[in-house]
Amino acid sequence: MKNENNSPKQPERVKHDYPGKLIVIEGTDGVGRSTQTELLKNWLAVEGYGVTVTGWKSSELISNVIEKAKSKNALNTITFSLLYATDLADRLNSIIVPALKAGLMVICDRYYYTAFARDVVRGADPQWVRKLYGFAVEPDLVFYLKMPLDPLLRRIITTRGSLDFYESGRDIGMSTDLYQSFKLYQSQIMFEYEQMMAEYPFVVVPADETPDKIQRCLRQHVGKLLDRATNPEAVLIS
Amino acid sequence: MRLYKKHDFPGKLFVVEGVDGSGKSTQLDLLRNWLESKGESVIFTEWNSSNLISKTIKQAKRSNTLIPVTFSILHATDFADRLENIIIPALKAGLYVLADRYCFTAFARDVARGVDKEWVRNLYGFSIRPDGAFYFQVPVEVSLGRINNMRTPGFYESGMDMGISTDPRESFRIFQTNIINEYDQMVDEFGFHVMPATKTIHEQQMLFRKKVTELIENSN
Repeated sequence: MKNENNSPKQPERVKHDYPGKLIVIEGTDGVGRSTQTELLKNWLAVEGYGVTVTGWKSSELISNVIEKAKSKNALNTITFSLLYATDLADRLNSIIVPALKAGLMVICDRYYYTAFARDVVRGADPQWVRKLYGFAVEPDLVFYLKMPLDPLLRRIITTRGSLDFYESGRDIGMSTDLYQSFKLYQSQIMFEYEQMMAEYPFVVVPADETPDKIQRCLRQHVGKLLDRATNPEAVLIS
Repeated sequence: MRLYKKHDFPGKLFVVEGVDGSGKSTQLDLLRNWLESKGESVIFTEWNSSNLISKTIKQAKRSNTLIPVTFSILHATDFADRLENIIIPALKAGLYVLADRYCFTAFARDVARGVDKEWVRNLYGFSIRPDGAFYFQVPVEVSLGRINNMRTPGFYESGMDMGISTDPRESFRIFQTNIINEYDQMVDEFGFHVMPATKTIHEQQMLFRKKVTELIENSN
């Protein structure tokens, strides 16, 4: 399961030994990541853990630059990649690592796997993107919320009412038919995630279940992670 | 990676590298005038100048809060934006592109800041390999003298973010020495044309023009 791209020349890409835990929730647009993140955060707080949540593209340094560039539809593949990498680098430094050091549970709504999927669909070299993110801390737990394409499409269209330019991959000119373009783009993104299931230890969660059922599944895995942290002997049993 | 392959655009890309105060910008400016006087179309681009991100970088530098990796990717973003919007279109159109600093600046500075050498080379792997990379080599003391005559070195320029020394001048001296060492090691790695930046401006310029002429003739 170990990712072979962890070359020894990138010493940063090792399991962290901070007291906190890094939990990542991944999945394509519209699978319910935000809802699940929120529920998980509340549960952890009730259980008595300090929690920090951080979303993709939210750094103070760079998120408005990304928004501005996207609104002009002016980004090429590499610049697109690098802007998002800058965003994560900044959040790692200002939010994620300090929280992990302070012993908090950090929930990342999307992490570098999102970039691995999106950038590669946009034509970036898979190895290049993986090495690019070599600076980032390896998560303790990664959930992949997985949903078949058709229900996903229905869900996005009904909840948002319209399709987003970038979520539809229109910037890479897939099709002038927005729906076709959206479908094609999302299916390619899914394909990349599927590939990553073999490369990284994703916990795959069927996202077409009810929110409650999905949340129960997440809590179960997070619970195990916390048990292992507080009671190391449990590792031998599990 | 593109950086390690010869490009096949009709245009030509020449870049100058070297520490601050090495005189590279003066030389590039003279070269540009000379090319233009011969009727060539020339596009000029410099480090950290993209519309997309250069302001963000300048602001972040003022707040002194960046870690080396963030700093590194920010500059790469600036570079990628200029590469796609300025450099590549000009090369496709068959123009001369002159770049004041190129990815080698990042290779020198970021590594001197402690960033992994291989990582930063991979980061800039999308770069177009220049037709000529000119390295203006100066001893540290000369570079320090030139800078000090003009102004006090900045926070990042002197590597103060790395906490080498609390004395800005001492920090600058150590950091610049590390940068020069990195440049010197790249001479063979990237086939730099080494320019003796201690010669007179005129002597250097004559040498620069001669080299550029040779490179153009050899490629045709």
